[in-house]
Amino acid sequence: MYNLKESIIIIYIAAVILLVLGYFIGGWNMILDGLNISIKTAYRSFLMLLASFIIIGQLNVLLTAEVIEKWLQKFKGIKAIIVSAIAGGLFPGGPYIYYPFVSSFKEKKLPFYILISFLFGKQVFDFSRIPLEASLVSPDIALIRYLITFPIPIIVGLIALRFFQDTTAFDFSLKAGEKHGPDNDNP
Amino acid sequence: MAQTTIILSIIALVLIVINTKTNGKQYMGLKIGLKQFIKTMPVILGAFILAGIIEVMIPKEFVQNWLSKEAGLKGIFLGTFGGMLLAMGPYAFYPIVASLMVSGAGLGTIISMITGWALLGLSKAPFEIGFFGVDFTIKKTICSLPFSLVAGLIAYFLELIVFS
Repeated sequence: MYNLKESIIIIYIAAVILLVLGYFIGGWNMILDGLNISIKTAYRSFLMLLASFIIIGQLNVLLTAEVIEKWLQKFKGIKAIIVSAIAGGLFPGGPYIYYPFVSSFKEKKLPFYILISFLFGKQVFDFSRIPLEASLVSPDIALIRYLITFPIPIIVGLIALRFFQDTTAFDFSLKAGEKHGPDNDNP
Repeated sequence: MAQTTIILSIIALVLIVINTKTNGKQYMGLKIGLKQFIKTMPVILGAFILAGIIEVMIPKEFVQNWLSKEAGLKGIFLGTFGGMLLAMGPYAFYPIVASLMVSGAGLGTIISMITGWALLGLSKAPFEIGFFGVDFTIKKTICSLPFSLVAGLIAYFLELIVFS
């Protein structure tokens, strides 16, 4: 999950600023119209959100980091790109969970193209976001967005495979300037 | 909306059944989901308030000139950079997108905004820099930018050809 405290602060400060602006632009009528829309949206979305969070919770216990790690070590080449992009999309949790996981690819000496397609897969697909996107924006928009962006992680993975074929995530982090740590003694 | 609720409920039920049969962790899943729901409620409610105010405040001329289908490339660029700058989680981000959509933003703007937020969102930058370094983060951002713009362009043409 993203940093909630930060999100709450940003959202409420922005809301207060806009409420004050709204008052000066359109008076109480504009504010009440806005709040009316907010209440209606909250009322309509409640059950959808509840179902969405039940899905997120169930996905969390169904697809653990261990299960996904097993998939990633099974394949190579294009198959590995597709599997790791989908595994990225299925991987539960926010950036503070998936970045440490992806970072562990360095120790496991997984190829760089697996790392990159997993990372893009997580950010573009993130299947646990589908229920939220469908309920909070619209199911049609969610579908169109997924169809249009579906090839992105695979294209990025293929580019990485083409240009960094033999580079492992470990080698790449050294090229990127990471200092030699205890693990780096056994490249 | 009722249809979406039914579909989501069916998916939730299917997942509960799968967890019951495979690992017996269905109650843990329910607990995690509900806990997250309660925890994120203040963000979601704040986002609904923000989205409602945006919907009534945003000038029609601005939407027409900068975000609508007629805005073309301007909308796609603005959507991509807007998504990048909205450094917040999905619970706060999606209601804002929905309010722009209701106000009349074009499909290209909406799709580039969601893609820009997913790929380039600044909220992820601290983690990316922390685990992979500044160099990697800059290169990834530069490489991701065209994807967000192209996604917006595809959506724009889709709206022009299919939905008009």
